[in-house]
Amino acid sequence: MTRLSRRHTIAGMSALTAAATFKPRPAKAAEPVTVWWTQGYYEAENQAVTDAMKAWEKTSGTKVNLTIMNGPDLISKMIAAMQVGDVPDLVHAVTGDRFLVPRAAWDDKLVDLSDVVDTQKNEFHKTALDSSRFYNQALKKYSYYTVPIKCSTLMEEVWRPLIEDAGFSDNDIPKTQDAYFDFFQVVQDRLRGNGKRIYGLGYSMATKEADSGTLFHSFLVAYGGAGIVAPNGKLDIDDPAVRKAAMTALDRLTGPYKKGYVPPGAINWGDVDNNNAFFAKQIVMTPNATISIAVAQMEKPDQYYKQVITQGIPNGNDGKPVLGIVSVSPCLIPKGAKNIDGAKELLKAFIQPDNLNKYLKETRGRFLPVMMSNVKNDPYWQDPADPHRPVAVDFGLIRPTMPWWMAYNPAYSAVLSEQIWAQAEANITQKNMTPEQATEEAVSRIKAIFERFQIA
Amino acid sequence: MSAGSRARADRRLVDAGVAVISAVLIVWTIVPLYNMVRVSLQDKDDVFSSSVFPTTSTLKAFQTAFHESYWLLANFWGQMATSFYIGITVAFLTLAIGTLTSFTISRMRIRQGWMLTNAALLTYMIPMSFLAIPFYSIMGKYGLTDNPLAVIAVEVTFATPYAIFIFKQYGASIPHELDEAARIDGASPPQIFFRIYLPLMAPALVAIGTYALLLSWNEYLYAFLLLSSDSNITVPVGLGKFLNSDEAPWNYLMAAAIIYALPPMAIYYTFRRKMNSGLTMGGVKG
Amino acid sequence: MALTTTIDNAALTPVVSRRTRRPRLAGADRLWALAFATPYAAVFFAFVLYPVGYGLWLGSDPASYLQLFADPVFPSAIVNTLIYLLVAVNLKLVLALLLSGLFMRKGRWMKTLLLLFILPWAVPGIPSFISIHWMLNSQWGLINNAIWELFQTDGPPWLDNSTLALSSVIYAHIWKWLPFWTIIFLAGRMAIPRDLYEAAEVDGASRISRFIHITFPLMASLYFVCTLLSTIWALGDFNSVRFVSGGGPALSTHVLATLGIRNAFELGNPALGMATVLSALPLLIPLVILLMRQLKKGEVEL
Repeated sequence: MTRLSRRHTIAGMSALTAAATFKPRPAKAAEPVTVWWTQGYYEAENQAVTDAMKAWEKTSGTKVNLTIMNGPDLISKMIAAMQVGDVPDLVHAVTGDRFLVPRAAWDDKLVDLSDVVDTQKNEFHKTALDSSRFYNQALKKYSYYTVPIKCSTLMEEVWRPLIEDAGFSDNDIPKTQDAYFDFFQVVQDRLRGNGKRIYGLGYSMATKEADSGTLFHSFLVAYGGAGIVAPNGKLDIDDPAVRKAAMTALDRLTGPYKKGYVPPGAINWGDVDNNNAFFAKQIVMTPNATISIAVAQMEKPDQYYKQVITQGIPNGNDGKPVLGIVSVSPCLIPKGAKNIDGAKELLKAFIQPDNLNKYLKETRGRFLPVMMSNVKNDPYWQDPADPHRPVAVDFGLIRPTMPWWMAYNPAYSAVLSEQIWAQAEANITQKNMTPEQATEEAVSRIKAIFERFQIA
Repeated sequence: MSAGSRARADRRLVDAGVAVISAVLIVWTIVPLYNMVRVSLQDKDDVFSSSVFPTTSTLKAFQTAFHESYWLLANFWGQMATSFYIGITVAFLTLAIGTLTSFTISRMRIRQGWMLTNAALLTYMIPMSFLAIPFYSIMGKYGLTDNPLAVIAVEVTFATPYAIFIFKQYGASIPHELDEAARIDGASPPQIFFRIYLPLMAPALVAIGTYALLLSWNEYLYAFLLLSSDSNITVPVGLGKFLNSDEAPWNYLMAAAIIYALPPMAIYYTFRRKMNSGLTMGGVKG
Repeated sequence: MALTTTIDNAALTPVVSRRTRRPRLAGADRLWALAFATPYAAVFFAFVLYPVGYGLWLGSDPASYLQLFADPVFPSAIVNTLIYLLVAVNLKLVLALLLSGLFMRKGRWMKTLLLLFILPWAVPGIPSFISIHWMLNSQWGLINNAIWELFQTDGPPWLDNSTLALSSVIYAHIWKWLPFWTIIFLAGRMAIPRDLYEAAEVDGASRISRFIHITFPLMASLYFVCTLLSTIWALGDFNSVRFVSGGGPALSTHVLATLGIRNAFELGNPALGMATVLSALPLLIPLVILLMRQLKKGEVEL
């Protein structure tokens, strides 16, 4: 007690002295930058960001307070922090492009980062740039509220030994949407015939996190529903083609589940559970947002090079390639941050092409670069000896892609957060609704959500 | 059949019943705890095995937790220290505020005592998690985000009402003549409080201190919301981080969880007698 | 504890001389009382009144309620909350009341059993709930592994079916809190004078009639208060739902406490989250009034 009060007295006296001598405050750059970063799936991802921050601390002389949190937690805590206005200076949120940024930008809670984006504007991939513009309702305009750091499109992982056990080879895997997903049901039947407790299809149908939404929307685009939201932010869900695509997607996703080709637990899976089920060889294939499954097996050359097949999404039923939806993991600066200048300096340094490339390689290439020069200048990304990374680069950066619809209207972020489509899937599998009924209910809820986000 | 043999048969029946119920209770109690131990003894790769008993019993997970040699456990002891800091501070503040308040209400007989009693009663009846949303905002306004003090404040808030009731109840057994005698001798209220009231309250203090410590040891929601940086989080929040990793290092998670469970168990079993009598002071009157 | 050990017995002897015997100034006493009451009053204003007021203000926007009522998850959360309160609380308390009778039996075995039985309460909640969550996994959990070993068949999908998942949550709640309430009732039983039972035994009353005519009437008000209190606490129980079922499958096992947190911090709408929680007020307020009244009667003090 006495020590405390003495300390107070001293503090008070020194404050007085400081005031009396008009001592200038230390330069702003010396103030620390508080950074929140999404936790990696494996240690190398965390190490890469820790190293990058240390390197910047050294060159800039500014201290970085880095906190690493797991994905869903970080988003919850950001929502809470922005509510109060007591926020970190810089945030990297892996699913933030879908679950956090669009509505924060709409509510004018983010710092406009156009100036940071401009420093590398020619470098960024077009879809990555398109995915970083969001509408601000207060200012009535679109602007860059995030800086792309890394990206991915939906990939498919398959156990080669299991395919072979079923009497097939790589070449037997069909290349078009419906045939592709039917194929694994045949594989399951054959493997079960051999006495294995296994499921052919291992995809999430859960009403939480990101995986189930990523797969549903990939199906939606494959069946011709890419126009669900127009670039001007208008909802086009009454377009018969879109409506039909949504219904078909729901039908094709829930059918195999009801027939026992998807693990029953998949309606409860978090984003890592399909990875875990895959490693445990409970499923033959799994769609995954990144190539994390393969990458996590890097120390086991047998698995990495021989057993795990990485593929892109199948073509449409007409044989034409399907647009890949690019998920961009962004950095953002919330309004109210205490050291916006420091955060911007850090960000500008971090997105120097070489720095970004170094960081992504240290994370073992789970995510793709957002700059084409990285891919062109560094053979790492298209190394022909690697069975996984070049496939991901091809599908995510070279083939035609599209941004998520949140870039057009933040309402779609609420559609994803509220898990409208996953709930529609559950209505079919758990409540025995028909795909038509489930689609109707989802459509009316989506319309209600869009009511709240009218773009002038 | 004689009355004696009927009684004997009756007793044997009761004994058999007790044995069966005991067996059921043991299984009921043990299964989830056994599962913790089972997972903690397994190899990381065997987490998904379809066994009932650990396939490869090894204490490696405990060593790993102990030496912090797995990335998700890198700050395990730091988190443990935070948990202790929060738990002990909560216990201390709950005791301090609880005794002062109950002393005011029942020994000093101030006229506004009923207000304090009702305030405590009201707090007692708020479902704890219901205030999480406003609490977060308010801690921001108090400048306490990412500060263990915020969690301490929440837990003290919810632990003191119970403390006040128990202290009031227990204090009723201390004769008022003691105070009056001291008063006649000119003792001031603080003197009575420290020299008469507190020493005689010792058993209740132990009970409530343990209660407050266990309460804070169980807390997740507020610790999760209010703390964020690695150096400030508690063990349960750290364990939560495990659930979102590409690996399934659940043997480490459970080993860490078991280590975390040891201190409250030790404290509880040390003080259990005082605890049981202290917590249920009132019971039925009459 | 630290406080008591620093006080030596000599200090208990009054040191002040008898000259100061005249009545002390009431003013000084009142100041002391004020000073002693200040810490709790401060806690109450800063951490109870202010958050409650702020919460009510946050949840006062009618638009939030419109949005809430339009959400199909909300009615199911209400139903789940009611089932959870009715089943979990009552089942738990009935079991606790019966078990407290068991633990009244004398002997070392009962003491040992009680020590073991108390474990779920002494072990922190989060690890236990995570363990129960894994134990119930339908593909590789302990329970279904055991079922497979014993019967060579797949066990029930504990957490993948909404009825089973809600039952699992109820099980976890009872498992965790049964010991606590058993001890409360045990103390209640111990307070009943022995001679009542002895007299009844002399009259030849059976076990059951002794329970009905002595134990229960004397425990009734304690039991009632415990039911109310446990209901209120269970209403705010976040951890068992969050960690055992996570609200799944398909958001079908959310209760108001978890749905409130989801709406606030996952959907990013704190006002909606507060509205969700406040929708429990019509249930909570009568409970609080009943409980207040019961406690005021003074028959039971917790």
